[in-house]
Amino acid sequence: MKARPVLYTLGAFLFILGLTMLIPLACSLYYGEADAWGFILSFGITSGTGGVLSFACRPGEKKIVLGHREGFLIVSAGWIFAAFFGGLPYMIHGALPALTDAYFETMSGFTTTGATVINKIEALPHGILLWRSMTQWLGGMGIIILSVAILPFLGVGGRQLFRAELPGPVKDKLLPRIAETARSLWMVYGIITAAGFILLLFGGMSAFDSINHIFCAMATGGFSTKDSSIAWFNSAYIDGVFIVFMLLAGINFTLHYQVLTGNFRSLFQNSELRFFLGTLLAVTLLITLDLRLHVFPEIGKAFRYALFQASSIITTTGFVTDNFARWPAFSQIILVILMFIGGSAGSTGGGIKCVRLLLLIKHSYQELYRLIHPHAVTQVKLDNMTVPPDVMKSIWGFFALYIGLAVLATILMSSLGLDMLTSFASVAATIGNIGPGLGLVHPASTYSEVPTLGKWILSFCMLIGRLEIYTVLVLLIPEFWKK
Amino acid sequence: MKVIIIGAGEVGYHIADSLSREGIDTVVIDRDEERLHEVSEMLDVQTVLGSGSSPEILKQAGMAQAEMVIAVTDSDETNMIACLLASTQCRIPIRIARIRNQELNGDCALFGTDRLNIDLIINPEREAVSNVMDLLEFPGAAEVFSFAGGRIRLLGFQIDPSAAVIGKKLFDLRAMEPAFKVLITAIVRGEKLIVPSGGSVIEGGDYLFAVTDAARVRELLRFFGKDTEPPRRIIIIGGGDTGLMIAEAIEQKNITVKLIEKKHARCEFLASRLDKTVVLHGDGTSQELLKEENIEETDFFIAVTNDEEANILGALLAKQLGARKVLSLINRIDYIPIVSRVGIDGVINPRHAALSRILHYIRKGKVLSATPLRDEKAEVFEFIALETSEITDRPFKEIHFPSGTIVGAICRGEEIIIPDGDSVIRPGDHVVIFTPRSAIGELEKLLTVKLEYFA
Repeated sequence: MKARPVLYTLGAFLFILGLTMLIPLACSLYYGEADAWGFILSFGITSGTGGVLSFACRPGEKKIVLGHREGFLIVSAGWIFAAFFGGLPYMIHGALPALTDAYFETMSGFTTTGATVINKIEALPHGILLWRSMTQWLGGMGIIILSVAILPFLGVGGRQLFRAELPGPVKDKLLPRIAETARSLWMVYGIITAAGFILLLFGGMSAFDSINHIFCAMATGGFSTKDSSIAWFNSAYIDGVFIVFMLLAGINFTLHYQVLTGNFRSLFQNSELRFFLGTLLAVTLLITLDLRLHVFPEIGKAFRYALFQASSIITTTGFVTDNFARWPAFSQIILVILMFIGGSAGSTGGGIKCVRLLLLIKHSYQELYRLIHPHAVTQVKLDNMTVPPDVMKSIWGFFALYIGLAVLATILMSSLGLDMLTSFASVAATIGNIGPGLGLVHPASTYSEVPTLGKWILSFCMLIGRLEIYTVLVLLIPEFWKK
Repeated sequence: MKVIIIGAGEVGYHIADSLSREGIDTVVIDRDEERLHEVSEMLDVQTVLGSGSSPEILKQAGMAQAEMVIAVTDSDETNMIACLLASTQCRIPIRIARIRNQELNGDCALFGTDRLNIDLIINPEREAVSNVMDLLEFPGAAEVFSFAGGRIRLLGFQIDPSAAVIGKKLFDLRAMEPAFKVLITAIVRGEKLIVPSGGSVIEGGDYLFAVTDAARVRELLRFFGKDTEPPRRIIIIGGGDTGLMIAEAIEQKNITVKLIEKKHARCEFLASRLDKTVVLHGDGTSQELLKEENIEETDFFIAVTNDEEANILGALLAKQLGARKVLSLINRIDYIPIVSRVGIDGVINPRHAALSRILHYIRKGKVLSATPLRDEKAEVFEFIALETSEITDRPFKEIHFPSGTIVGAICRGEEIIIPDGDSVIRPGDHVVIFTPRSAIGELEKLLTVKLEYFA
């Protein structure tokens, strides 16, 4: 492990993170609110620390070379630090004075989870609200990928960081250069966000609410400036816009890039997309039926709420238009299962990801098929490409670890005295980066009642969920630290 | 007149044989000394030892005087280079190359006049595949040939001992089914080729050649008691290029196909290329594997491994175990007469198919195609009738055809005519004519089409 390039890169990364705090600062100054000082201080501490760190560890004449291990360390440490420094404005302003709460809220922001410990959101100043939404937007496409796009010195090393942060089993490089790839992903992200912002304005939403909500929708985050989330607006148009943009955010951005550059064919040939939309359609119909029978007498209303909630959960956004804790158990179980499925690889969504499940299903089918044809030689294929056995193994490993860690975290949560439903649902909702769960943490409630240790466990769940387990867990094995 | 053939494999050998018998000076180049020795013992040709892509060797072979070069080695690259040398160094007028690589097919601009400048690309494997697909379409036939762009078919099939037509005279058949248009062009009984007349009697075990409209092939086969049920379950053994191409072609027809291959690494490659095909790793001649894969329910068993003896034995084993139809890939022409006798329903012969492609190309005049049949004892020609010819504008009964020569079908515009004594050929008609080899000379005069090779 080469410490100096790691610290240098982390320093540069913190410096950029500090700079992003200038945006909510401008917002505070515009509204003339008292939290401006909080941002100035936070900016000073974050960028100052980053600046000093990278100056102290500057590489001199040598070029920066980052290997696999450095990549994993930078990304994991980058996220852990980001949640700490990003929480400074909350602590200084006093919205969340305790470190645990500020850390939980920021981790929930950057990992695009959307779980909150703030009970009275509408009482917060504009600057804090904007920063809250911004953490989601920055974390959505990836704060490290943003650095790769911006920092010129990373060069080849950027690829390790890119791989460690981007979700999905196979990472295709869009363009020959990694920095160009990172830039184009951010560009696509920005373009779709801008389109959503304009559409929300048309729906009669204020500019401030529009920007905050589209940030959270595009990141599949789920923070809102309203205590009752999207239900506050109570508009079918706005629900519709959110459904579209949550789904866009839950689709692989590589596909968006291809469509924006005129390649529409890739859209129809993508089996992950078909799986994602097919699953959504199926569960929407089931929930509609369930709601029609037990909650809403009108079919149109049942469909609207079912579609919104299914889109929100499968993309792991976590916006709510109706408190699904009051829905029948059948709908709740479907929504919890959706929390595990998640969005597409290369999207801003969390969960296990559709492509992984699709491949696991295909592979399992082939195992059955081999019982009938013992001599058959089979290959798992995705869009006519063979999936190498190594990738399959890594997906099975991921799946086992994901379920295993969720079980372990559920046991730990219950040991803190939480009931079974809360323990399970809070873990499912955080490891999958959704946000609202069931039980104590149902959509109309918050995570503020969860014990302190529980908040740290859930923060860790959010981190491993966002960085897809391997990147974080690899740091915990002793082999990683051996020379 | 001089032709250089590069590569003395099965294809090269048989082209050399045909050409030298027609009195053309033939030079064969090959790198295998033993094989060349064999060739010079068996055929009246000159042999040169060396590589076909070497300018020095080509000069030795007398390239400067040659009028055609046929490059049929196993290597695509050697064949291409040889043709390139032929066109750049000596301006040999006709260049033919065997190209196996699928991606470099005939439409490829690479072979155009301003590039490699190759006149004819032949791909024995692709010919074999289209052959297999024809046989799958008409399961009762043992051979299927297409003429007039696929609108006229010539079928070869064996009469089963229990067929209803046995003991009938040919003119009785017309009486049984007056609307039915078909012409029996030859009967093969044992080793003998019999020229049929109205009074000929069909016997069990006869092998018939019949010409008909492509749309009525099924009807024809049913009439002669042959199976016309389209296949639904197919097993292929041998995952080489031919096996892969056949599997790909069958996949497109939505038929279940199982492909058995011995080498595991090759199986993985096949599995990556094929979507619906079941790729099986194992020995295609193993009883256990075949039983495990339900051989008794299989409609078609196609043996296309590189080992011809294994193909024959595998096909026989499959037949024994209950496969409905078995096909076997056989390159050695020596084996072909025996296979139908031992119970193999059809033969795939890529070299033979390639050979007939080359013959079509080099036959001169208005002949569109020439297909050798039955160990080259007979040929079928497709040609365009000329005004000057003796056979045009006269009813058939007034024409004295050479013995054994039969006009199988006439294609006039959209119409397909199966001729009788009153039929008349008009100038411009496409005519399919069946003739024993011995009558080719006489036929030439009649048609005023020279059935010789190029000028």
